Amino acid sequence: MSAFHSTKPGFDFSNANRNAFLEGKGVKMPKATSTGTTIVGCLFKDGIVLGADTRATAGEIVADKNCEKIHYISESIRCCGAGTAADTEFITALISSNIELHALSTGRKPRVVTAMTMLKQRLFQHQGHIGAALVLGGVDATGAHLFTVAPHGSTDKLPYVTMGSGSLAAMAVFESGWRPNLERAEALQLVVAAISAGIFNDLGSGSNVDACVITATETEMLRNYVMPNVRVEKERKYGFRRGTTAWTREKVRDLIVSEEIRPIAVIAGGEEMDTS
Amino acid sequence: MENSLRLVPSKQPAKASISDTANSFGLHDTLIYGPRNLTDEIKSTNPLQARLENWDETQRNLKLTMHRNIYGLHAPVRQLMERKIVSYNPHMPAMPRSNIHLDILEGRDETLDVADLFSSEPYPTTDIHSEMERKLRM
Repeated sequence: MSAFHSTKPGFDFSNANRNAFLEGKGVKMPKATSTGTTIVGCLFKDGIVLGADTRATAGEIVADKNCEKIHYISESIRCCGAGTAADTEFITALISSNIELHALSTGRKPRVVTAMTMLKQRLFQHQGHIGAALVLGGVDATGAHLFTVAPHGSTDKLPYVTMGSGSLAAMAVFESGWRPNLERAEALQLVVAAISAGIFNDLGSGSNVDACVITATETEMLRNYVMPNVRVEKERKYGFRRGTTAWTREKVRDLIVSEEIRPIAVIAGGEEMDTS
Repeated sequence: MENSLRLVPSKQPAKASISDTANSFGLHDTLIYGPRNLTDEIKSTNPLQARLENWDETQRNLKLTMHRNIYGLHAPVRQLMERKIVSYNPHMPAMPRSNIHLDILEGRDETLDVADLFSSEPYPTTDIHSEMERKLRM
């Protein structure tokens, strides 16, 4: 019985009975907090551009104004995460490790579908209890691929995708501006516009724009590529001037201890130590 | 081995037994394992818990059934035999031990899972005698 022999780490159900009992007695259980993010990705001529905002929320509180939502999977595969921050961090780190092991085992560069399959299988196994909505993009031997992975494990493969609470605003930008074979600068511009739409129209998204450009030859991580919400400097200084507090006595302690070393003179004609 | 091609665990009726916590009289040992209520354990089980616990077993069963359909009965019999051989643990039962042979047979020697990152046992058991008795079926 699992209650007495914990067989597997991971999800812990040991308090489930207690919680059910307490709920039956009328104790209010904490509700799921809604999460907010805007993450996007789109194809262009040579590869993929991924984008994300940088606001992390805890309920209605902004927990972090400049967090990172574009996670490393492999050299030419990256994954944007929306949903429960801990879950997205952990699952992308786990898949990143597995992808590295897989690459070492096969001796080839990892493929995006491999990462996508690993992600969706794990998410499907947990039936949406791992709250991770992901945008996975990368370039491999078979070309550039872009996927979304929903928390229940379903996936889409599309030329431009958005996820998170700001996905509607961002999708509107993509729908009007995206066309096949965009140039790199145009695609980056479009991603910035889409993320900005999320930042300014969705309360769950905000702060800066992170972007990541993946091509067959190189991956460029553009952290804080655009910063539209820099906090302005305070108009006045509120610190105290020097000399505001009066003092009556001053004493400076010398904490440096000086030592004089005198070498011991070798006794002339004395027996030398046997060092053979 | 069960002859089914299920991908995910079925919704099985909840089970609870005192076989793991029974003392020499065949009753639940409250002094060692604490108070326990079998009715509660049957009534309130999380469906996700059963799913996660039976996940590997179901997947393994699917593979064995498919091997049986393709190669004949000898294939799963051979695999189960190999698994049984490497699963045998001649060491102290209370000591945690990795089993690379079993990992290779199950195809998880080159993957990382939560079990590899977080220790499965929060603390080693202090009751080696009862573990030994259980192992030797005394």
